[in-house]
Amino acid sequence: MAFIRSEGPPRGADSAPAGGSAAAERRAWGDQIPSEGPPRGADCAPAGGSAAAERRAWGDHIRSDRRLAAFALVLPALLVVGVFFVAPLVLSAVGAFRDADGAFTLAHFAKSLDLYTRDLIFTIGIVVLSTVLIAIVAIAIAGYLTLGEHPRAVAVLRWLYRWPLFIPFVVAGQIMRTFLAKNGMLNHVLIGTGLIEPISAQSMLDWRGIVIAFVWKQAPFVTLLLAGAMAALERQHIEAARNLGAPRWRVLIDIVLPQVRGTLLVGLVLSFVAMLSVLSVPLMINPNSPTMITVDVAYRINTFADYAVANALCLLSLLLAAFGAAFYLRHAVRKVENA
Amino acid sequence: MKVRSLASIAALGLASIGGAAAQTTLNVVSAGDQNMVDYVNNYLGPKFEQMNPGVKVRAVGTGPGDSGSQKIYEKLEAQQKAGAAKWDVDVAVVHQRGAATMVENNLLMKYRDQVKAGKLVSRDTAKNALGANVDGYVLPMFHSQIAFAYNPDLVKTPPKSFKELEEWVKKNPKQFGYNGVKGGMSGVGFVMGWVEASDPGMRNTFEKGPYDPKMKATIDKSLEGLKTFNQYVVMTPGNAGTLDMLNRGEIAMGPVWVDMFYTWMADGKMNPKVKLELPAPGLPGQPMYYVIPAKAEHADLAKKFIDFAESPEVQADGIVKQFNWYPGIDPQYVESKMPKAEWNKLFTDITPTDLASKGRPFPLSQYFTDIVEGYERVVLK
Repeated sequence: MAFIRSEGPPRGADSAPAGGSAAAERRAWGDQIPSEGPPRGADCAPAGGSAAAERRAWGDHIRSDRRLAAFALVLPALLVVGVFFVAPLVLSAVGAFRDADGAFTLAHFAKSLDLYTRDLIFTIGIVVLSTVLIAIVAIAIAGYLTLGEHPRAVAVLRWLYRWPLFIPFVVAGQIMRTFLAKNGMLNHVLIGTGLIEPISAQSMLDWRGIVIAFVWKQAPFVTLLLAGAMAALERQHIEAARNLGAPRWRVLIDIVLPQVRGTLLVGLVLSFVAMLSVLSVPLMINPNSPTMITVDVAYRINTFADYAVANALCLLSLLLAAFGAAFYLRHAVRKVENA
Repeated sequence: MKVRSLASIAALGLASIGGAAAQTTLNVVSAGDQNMVDYVNNYLGPKFEQMNPGVKVRAVGTGPGDSGSQKIYEKLEAQQKAGAAKWDVDVAVVHQRGAATMVENNLLMKYRDQVKAGKLVSRDTAKNALGANVDGYVLPMFHSQIAFAYNPDLVKTPPKSFKELEEWVKKNPKQFGYNGVKGGMSGVGFVMGWVEASDPGMRNTFEKGPYDPKMKATIDKSLEGLKTFNQYVVMTPGNAGTLDMLNRGEIAMGPVWVDMFYTWMADGKMNPKVKLELPAPGLPGQPMYYVIPAKAEHADLAKKFIDFAESPEVQADGIVKQFNWYPGIDPQYVESKMPKAEWNKLFTDITPTDLASKGRPFPLSQYFTDIVEGYERVVLK
């Protein structure tokens, strides 16, 4: 029941050899694409006779039935998306522009920007920096998994890197809270191995803690996508380059990466948006100023029951996420065009 | 052996199914930290069920801080707006701000005179919640208090007042830590204490009203001092974060909830050397209230439950001894119900006299809002 094949069918029909089989094929597609099908199907049907008319009526009947069935099939999904996703989003957007009497106002945005501009900038900084670091870590790990020449090391790395994938953000936050504290485990190890003096130990429970938690949690996700894409590449190019004496890092940067750029971008955009929406990590590591916008949203609701400013803040972070979405869509469109 | 135990499990199962048919479930919804839910589920509930066969007490937590009470308020308000005849919350445990809002919106039942324990309460908080009149609608479950905790190994003579603290942090930078206004109420309480300390005349207005929006200027001025102060201190991640950092020796002093401190101490999670101190002119504390929603389904049972929870025996054994809170009813009824040593443990560092003079209520809600918002505007920007 491939009803929603927007790209494939016409092209397939165009490139099919002319003649009977093409018409038949077109008719077959026509049945599946109700909007395009009828005229074409009708044109190709043999002319004359009540049998044909009957067949046509029967066909219409089936087609309208199928259209209904198709609609009924997507209806539950549409309802869920509409009621639980689109409606709250619209309500929240409307709430951001409404004052206590229901009139239009920009006061909530003015207040958001007045109190939380620093936090907005902080959020952007944290998320962008984390995304860059995630990219570096993911490329390094996926690159080694693809080009590594030591089977045992590759196997161990492949086994190890996925672990954080299964750990929720809130747990990652809690782990970091004890790991990165001034007298936490990290500093104990560093002092114990003589790498730093006890006096220079410092707490990393600030922006650094958030970035470390984000990279730790999200890099495996991007690596997973990236390593999959790299594994699917034709190895001839890689082997040719290696035969000609290119070092592995050149192969990674000049040959492998350009071919998996799309996958990397998609993984990074998804991580970017996910990190924008995390409340638990900043709340546990650095809830004070400056902090991430999610903490401020929770704070407006919890302390002041002020949904209006919280809505305005949400819209502002939606704006940030929209940048990610724009990237994603542009890439998705290009991919379809290239296909 | 195996067969017998299987049979007894089956019998138990049958019994519980048989029992379930005749059971009434009392829904208790509690704001506050997890220990509040534990208190009802592990301590109060089982005792009440034992005394009232056929009753099942079910406690649900809505989360710490005012936000927990806010969630209960939103639930009741929704049922009120929907015109429901019976609301599915029988007993709620809420903060002062929550109780004030709920009374204002007619969401609660006036029940104090209908329970015996109603006569045992004496503190002003039973009538007044942050300036709102809640007389008759609430009974304090317990009182809690914010105080400074300090490590006497590092701080030989702790500062006795906010004024002394200001000097102290300059001499000992990064040794005092608190959790700002976004990480829990002990930080919020510290900020309230700071503002009230800056002008003794202001304190009375903050606690008793009337509300005057012009006070914002005075509040902001006092918060400017806090901005300077913040350069010498450490920001901690949350109420528990302050205790954690004290334990790890990362800070030497910070504001904490007294009950949390004692509970950690009793659980062996706290450096046993750490002590408490209540600085002049004072830090805020607050009660949690038992309230009954206006259309609670099992209102009579709810009254019985609260009456039991407020009895001197339960207050002595549960509230004071097991959970380290200050009693909700007049202490004179509680003290006689427990061994002297147990009672004194609660007052080791902070004497009842200290508590009476330096344990302050939180400011009126409008001032509260002005102060925390002022903090964001003046200190954080």
